[in-house]
Amino acid sequence: MLKQLRQICKELLEEGKVNAVIGYGQDAPGKPAYPIFVTQPADVTQLVWNSHCYNNLAVYLTQKRIRALYPKVAIIVKGCDARAVTVLEKDSQISREDVVVIGMACEGVGEPREPKCNACDVHMPHNVDITVGEVPNPPVTQEQRFAELNAFLKKTPEERMAYWKTELARCVKCYACRQTCPLCYCERCIVDKNRPTCIDTSATLKGNFAWQITRAFHQAARCVGCDECTRVCPAGINLRLLNQSLALAAENCFEFRAGMDAELEPVVGAYSLQDKENFIR
Amino acid sequence: MDKWLEQERPVAAPVRLQDNRVMYQPLTASSQIVSDGFVHAENSIKEFFFPRTEKLYNYKFVGQDVELQDVTVEDAPRMVLFARPCDAASLPILDHVFNWDYKDEFYNRRRRATTVVTLACTEHDTHCFCTSVGLTPDSEQGSDVLLLPLGDGNFEVRMLTEKGKELFRDLVQTSDKTAQIPEGPAKKFDVDEVLQFLEENFDSPFWEEQTLRCLGCAACAYNCPTCHCFDIVDEGNACGGCRVKNWDACQFSMFSLHASGHNPRSIQAQRQRQRIQHKFRIYHEKFGTYLCTGCGNCGRNCPVSLGVLNVVEAIHRRTVKASEKD
Amino acid sequence: MENIYKPDLMEVLAVRQQTSDVKSVRIRFKDEEKARKFNFRVGQFGIYSLFGYGESTFNICSSSNWKDYIEFCFRKTGKVTEGLWQISEGDTIGFRGPYGNSYPTEAWEGKNLVFISGGIAMPPVRCAIWYVLENRAKYGNITIVYGARTVGDLVFQDELDKWAEYPNVRVVRTVDPGGETPDWKGEIGFVPTIVEKAQIPAENSVALVIGPPIMIKFTLPVLDKMGIAAKDIYTSLENRMKCGVGKCGRCNCGPVYVCKEGPVFTLEQLNKLPMDY
Repeated sequence: MLKQLRQICKELLEEGKVNAVIGYGQDAPGKPAYPIFVTQPADVTQLVWNSHCYNNLAVYLTQKRIRALYPKVAIIVKGCDARAVTVLEKDSQISREDVVVIGMACEGVGEPREPKCNACDVHMPHNVDITVGEVPNPPVTQEQRFAELNAFLKKTPEERMAYWKTELARCVKCYACRQTCPLCYCERCIVDKNRPTCIDTSATLKGNFAWQITRAFHQAARCVGCDECTRVCPAGINLRLLNQSLALAAENCFEFRAGMDAELEPVVGAYSLQDKENFIR
Repeated sequence: MDKWLEQERPVAAPVRLQDNRVMYQPLTASSQIVSDGFVHAENSIKEFFFPRTEKLYNYKFVGQDVELQDVTVEDAPRMVLFARPCDAASLPILDHVFNWDYKDEFYNRRRRATTVVTLACTEHDTHCFCTSVGLTPDSEQGSDVLLLPLGDGNFEVRMLTEKGKELFRDLVQTSDKTAQIPEGPAKKFDVDEVLQFLEENFDSPFWEEQTLRCLGCAACAYNCPTCHCFDIVDEGNACGGCRVKNWDACQFSMFSLHASGHNPRSIQAQRQRQRIQHKFRIYHEKFGTYLCTGCGNCGRNCPVSLGVLNVVEAIHRRTVKASEKD
Repeated sequence: MENIYKPDLMEVLAVRQQTSDVKSVRIRFKDEEKARKFNFRVGQFGIYSLFGYGESTFNICSSSNWKDYIEFCFRKTGKVTEGLWQISEGDTIGFRGPYGNSYPTEAWEGKNLVFISGGIAMPPVRCAIWYVLENRAKYGNITIVYGARTVGDLVFQDELDKWAEYPNVRVVRTVDPGGETPDWKGEIGFVPTIVEKAQIPAENSVALVIGPPIMIKFTLPVLDKMGIAAKDIYTSLENRMKCGVGKCGRCNCGPVYVCKEGPVFTLEQLNKLPMDY
């Protein structure tokens, strides 16, 4: 697979179809892979593909500086990352003509395997331009996908509140969750606004609750479950639970899973005459 | 420890969280403490001297007038237990900036009240580089007590200060056993060479080449024992509120943004440059020490495996290549 | 517990609107003892609080000889200044300072002085001008060149008239081409052009130049041509600040902290600083 990937990227660069390939590099086997930007055909040997390729590279598609340097890019994605590219496309944040999406067949990342991979049904990525490799992609039920959340929701509200009070007390407002999320692309995030100040920037329980809950809500029906926010959180907070609760609501209310179908309009970004209005009293 | 906790004296120590992470946390019970099975906690001990968020004072509106209410920092005895030498060493380093002409009593009071009990390291990982910034796995800087594991569950105890003696005097027995502390990581770069590179390469394309993948979060800065940049904001309503000092990071895009809209560091490469310059050149020029203890937390926590070591090693490779050319 | 971040409470004595988006404010310490003891040098700045909004950094634009009040001048730009726009006589704000270094007015004695400023950058020059005029005999010839985009953007216009009345003081006013009104009697042209046109004798001179970067960029070559050395050209830098006391790590230009080692710099010093401001 890796040889094929490198060949594809080499050709894209040689033919001038892209200014850069956004892919994964790695210092040594077993260490986490990290994002690299390959501009020279000869440098495609730096590209790797293995179970340490955690990052969701779609985050770079909306970074002004990166796109100024590289207007046309190829990007290497796993199934979860590809969903993010689809959301960006449907949210009109990227022009698909400027992005060549190379989808990698993925059996899961992490040793031990990341929790998100155990209920993944996009081992073969959707909506990509080129697919590399092939792996089995059995369907997964909604129950399997939300097993962790449903178990958590069995706790009483008091237990859950106590849990979040302990967990969110550790949040330091580093915004690693926001910076690593491809769907957090707002030019000026609500927490950075000060006229008025909507969310306290302090790392108090109030400020942390406000931040994490607001972010989860802003990602409702947009979060693709790549789980990078949870992985990168230096305080080890299980942000996946927050994001999943809103993803479950999106599925139950709108039968919508972000980024799965490139034909569907985004839930929050589109309007139809059939939308329910029973909440307007 | 339980006696201290009963007396409501705060103690912070490494604690294992539910997903196997180890972080320095305020203790509620001595059973929470872990002292081995990990190289370094995910965070640093600086939050016990320089909290993430801290009230500077309260204000209340009374007609056209304003009343300010002072806050006091508790100076009851407190302890940080099982810090690493690279954490403890950050304290004498931070003392400089927090006392540069103006004395920050918020920091100083906690500093005076805290006894730092450090545990020497018996192992390191690929992120560690204390030996490259003049420290060792058994450095004594910043510690009141240094504990060196003897391997049999006991420690060699070095009581380095009066505070340390007071705490451990009745807990120790004399012995002729001394601990064998391993050497620590091999030196990965030369700080003097890095300093020279920084002085000569402010405007180099090196910065963008090396740091293009940086996402601009503060995972590195907030878990770093020596990063100390902060923000001051008001939080309140029409009746009053408080002014707080919060952690901030030069990596954020708005850190140096002027109200006019001008931003001297408008791209991430410039912000990364600022971090490295601050740690390995500016702080040294001002205070004679580097603003880094080689703990490796930046690399461990960075979402894109960047951190500080990566950039400085790249500088090292350049200076080595340059000197080979000569 | 000593709290270096705690401001002193100040009473607002007067607010004067200078332009459509600029106001100047006179404040006095509420505490009589502090009012009596307070001292500063021209060129230093303060950090002014509007409680509930935040703090902002402005030069102290009044002369250090004036003991009844201190004055600052601001443009309505962001959260704090929008709040300050609403204050009036009798309100309470906070003040921390004085911070930073100052104009070396002793070193300027016996020299001819050239004060050049543009737009809202006049206030940090204004304090130096008043200070110098109040010790007139110690200084040589004084030339003041002040310009703004339009007549409506000129601040402290009444004081420009007063300055011209002092002996051996020449005041040159200008507006950008297109910024003049029908009854405008001053020059028309960008500040650097007018400085050159003014043919200011430059022997034994020191210049203080404060203005928008573009104005400074084109004025410096003119001063150079005039023969004023880089070590005799002064400016005041601005950079984003929060603590003002060298701790929050924000205002540095390379190795220099603007709040501690500035904001006053000579061109010679500025040339050594990296483009970090």
